[in-house]
Amino acid sequence: MTRNKHGRIRTIEEINEKIKQGSVVAVTAEEMRMIVEEKGPEKAAEEVDVVTTGTFGAMCSSGAFLNFGHSDPPIKMDKITLNGVEAYHGNAAVDCYIGATRMDPKRPFEYGGGHVIEDLVSGKTIHVEAEAYGTDCYPRRHVETDITIEDLNQAILCNPRNAYQRYNAATNSRDEVIYTYMGKLLPDFGNASFSGSGILNPLCNDPDYETIGVGTRIFLGGGIGYVVGEGTQHDPKNRLGTLMVKGDLKKMSPRYLKGASFTGYGTSLYVGIGIPIPILNVGLAEKTGLKDEDIKTDLLDYGVPRRIRPIVKGTNYAELKSGKLEVDRREIPVQPLSSLKLAREIAETLKEWILSGKFYISEPVEKLPLDTEFKPMKVTGEPEAHMIMEPAVTCSVEESLREAAERIVQEEVNHILVTDEGGRLKGIVTSFDITKAVAEGFRRLDEVMTTKVVTVKPGELLESCIQKMEEHNISALPVVDDEGRVMGIVTSEGIAKTLGRRRF
Amino acid sequence: MKVELRFDTRIVNEPAITSVALEKGVLLNILRAQVDEHGGRVLLEIPDDRVDEVVEAFERRGVKAYRRTLVEINDRCISCGHCITLCPVEALYRDELELTVRVDADKCIQCGRCVDACPMRAIILLI
Repeated sequence: MTRNKHGRIRTIEEINEKIKQGSVVAVTAEEMRMIVEEKGPEKAAEEVDVVTTGTFGAMCSSGAFLNFGHSDPPIKMDKITLNGVEAYHGNAAVDCYIGATRMDPKRPFEYGGGHVIEDLVSGKTIHVEAEAYGTDCYPRRHVETDITIEDLNQAILCNPRNAYQRYNAATNSRDEVIYTYMGKLLPDFGNASFSGSGILNPLCNDPDYETIGVGTRIFLGGGIGYVVGEGTQHDPKNRLGTLMVKGDLKKMSPRYLKGASFTGYGTSLYVGIGIPIPILNVGLAEKTGLKDEDIKTDLLDYGVPRRIRPIVKGTNYAELKSGKLEVDRREIPVQPLSSLKLAREIAETLKEWILSGKFYISEPVEKLPLDTEFKPMKVTGEPEAHMIMEPAVTCSVEESLREAAERIVQEEVNHILVTDEGGRLKGIVTSFDITKAVAEGFRRLDEVMTTKVVTVKPGELLESCIQKMEEHNISALPVVDDEGRVMGIVTSEGIAKTLGRRRF
Repeated sequence: MKVELRFDTRIVNEPAITSVALEKGVLLNILRAQVDEHGGRVLLEIPDDRVDEVVEAFERRGVKAYRRTLVEINDRCISCGHCITLCPVEALYRDELELTVRVDADKCIQCGRCVDACPMRAIILLI
């Protein structure tokens, strides 16, 4: 049998008709992998109508819109806290948004917005406190009350970025423990963590967004939710797609929505998401038959606190799920922070819902974009090297060590720049070099000076100066123009002063 | 078997462990020891077949001995497995069939490395 891979073999209406009649064939992505391996994608496409996926992990960009109804006299809430956690109030009088990462200042890193959402879903009582400035139409200035989710008019989970297609793994090169959003990372590559469910991940099973789009009905937090559209930082070209999702919090379950505490980082919310992939063509059967080893990612060094963290090695979800990762010719333990057990449970639950006629597949009303980019932050007003440099103390290469030493003492500096007659940089000598020269009996400047000097251009940003100093373990950077002429020097003391003057 | 010993402030100066080891001719492994204003607390590993007589010898010297489970995972656990990478004695492990994370309480030495790493705060050291 030959057939165009993208030729439609069934429609969503046909699948829904089969769900209604109880004759639909639904399998989880893990089961589909085996079916495709055994029978090939064409046969698998013929047999399977729907593949279910699942993921359960920390999704910081999560939160819920709540509406409290009006008190009497009414209040236009200005500042509002739920169990001590501040909610965002920038909407109408009694609407607010509780975000997962906002923490209770009295219980930092232990209790936050994610926990408030879990407590709401669990039916627990939430203590609400709100302040207001009082208006003619909303005169009340303070309200304090205890409510449960039943008392709210609406409780809508609305998460701007969930269900990353895949994510990098994390380890730590530093000689100390670090606490990150990727967990507790032991010194000297002592362990590694990762996130995501690999072959169970929703977007990995529909990498070209053929079936997942605006309006797709999904499993969300144990209830029914919908895809709103692409999530923030959606980066389809790098296969790092994300989803914005919403659903009725009142119908969700605390089993699939859990507040999380990351020591030293903050709080978050674990969200359970499951998405059905209708097998509309052979290509989708092939895609949902993917293997964990096909899902590549990088192990990054979180010991380097930069936007672009160094890649320790390339890896894949099969290796990550194996529990052991080879780094530096030794094996280190690796485990997820997301839950594979619950991801599998979600895919199974969604499958059961479909098989029992409780859940129907929806046609997206709009596709997810394939061309958006994830850009870094534009930061304005950062100081440049020429703004933080000091005048450089210089000497010529003909001068003696003694003369250089005298000038270092006289000018109270730690670095002296060696220049030629045109003012071009030839080398650098530090007070430590002089000490060493005395100890080892050198007399000439060129015997002790460093000639491979790390420099900066006047327009380089403060951040870049700090990075260079860190990388080369040095305490000063000569500032040179395009011709190599010395303009000044940036020192660690100078940077400390600049930072000290900053308002944080 | 692991036994927790409690020394009150009056006997904290006495070499009780060495004296019991010599009396019984038994190897005792000290896994953790701390002394503070309440006295001393020691986590001791005793060969399984000698536990009763060693505990009796400690009690004779006024040292309280507690045989109990040292760690528990409560029902907030989501079986992510992060704790497994932090455990120095492989007390935490995953049941590969069910994907469930479990603890072998007998192996735990209560180092506490896993406790602040658990995003669900599901690991409880029993003291």
